[in-house]
Amino acid sequence: MFERFTDGARKVVKDAQEEARSRGDRAIGTEHLLFALTRDDGPAGEALRDSGLFRGAAGDAVAALPDPSGLDGEALRLLGIDLDAVREAAEDAFGPGALDAPSGSRRNRSPKGHIPFKPESKKALELSLRQALNLKHGYIGSGHILLGLLQDRRFRAARALSGAGMDLEALRADVIRRIPPKAA
Amino acid sequence: MSDGVRLAQEASSRDPAVGLRAVRALRELAERLEALQVSNAREQGWSWQEIAVCLGVSRQAVHKKHGAGRRILKKER
Repeated sequence: MFERFTDGARKVVKDAQEEARSRGDRAIGTEHLLFALTRDDGPAGEALRDSGLFRGAAGDAVAALPDPSGLDGEALRLLGIDLDAVREAAEDAFGPGALDAPSGSRRNRSPKGHIPFKPESKKALELSLRQALNLKHGYIGSGHILLGLLQDRRFRAARALSGAGMDLEALRADVIRRIPPKAA
Repeated sequence: MSDGVRLAQEASSRDPAVGLRAVRALRELAERLEALQVSNAREQGWSWQEIAVCLGVSRQAVHKKHGAGRRILKKER
């Protein structure tokens, strides 16, 4: 699949890996691809930034999602427990991400070397290939990767975008309009 | 309203969905903190017996839950 990727699309994947690494995440999720796309020079980056979604806004949108690790900040807040404060105290004592992993949490604090894709982001990249084929484009660019992210509403990236009030259908139409039929 | 009062209200909420979710959230948070503290205690050279006494459980229970076998498996992953 990667052999059909344009340089821009390869850069998105590489940047997504860097996003995951710098955040101390152990695998590349759709949210990391989204972060990388906000800085893309191609159609995906243009479409996202035109709709107001810069890197910072994307970060806020993902941060607003329920914690994937299973800690229920909302329920804890109802109980009068400030999860952020607990997390901060734990991280002060034990380092970043101390509260994230259920156990053995001290390992892999900042992953080195290869960072694998989560199944969700693998699926999104496969969907980007399908999008390119459907559009009869002989290549996969950044625009197709964004289309892949938007394809399944259950993806973290898609949920973050709709949570931030973005119209996914409009964004989808906009990026399709911007994708050139041939790789630049 | 104090946090303690709210805690009492939520934990004893008449709506099971609210009350159970609150209990689950507390349990998950407690599990995380336990894992963190146990691994810290082990790194500081505490015995399983000492940890168990503090947690109010048996030595076997704490060892089974946080013991070496699990840890090695996790590290290899």
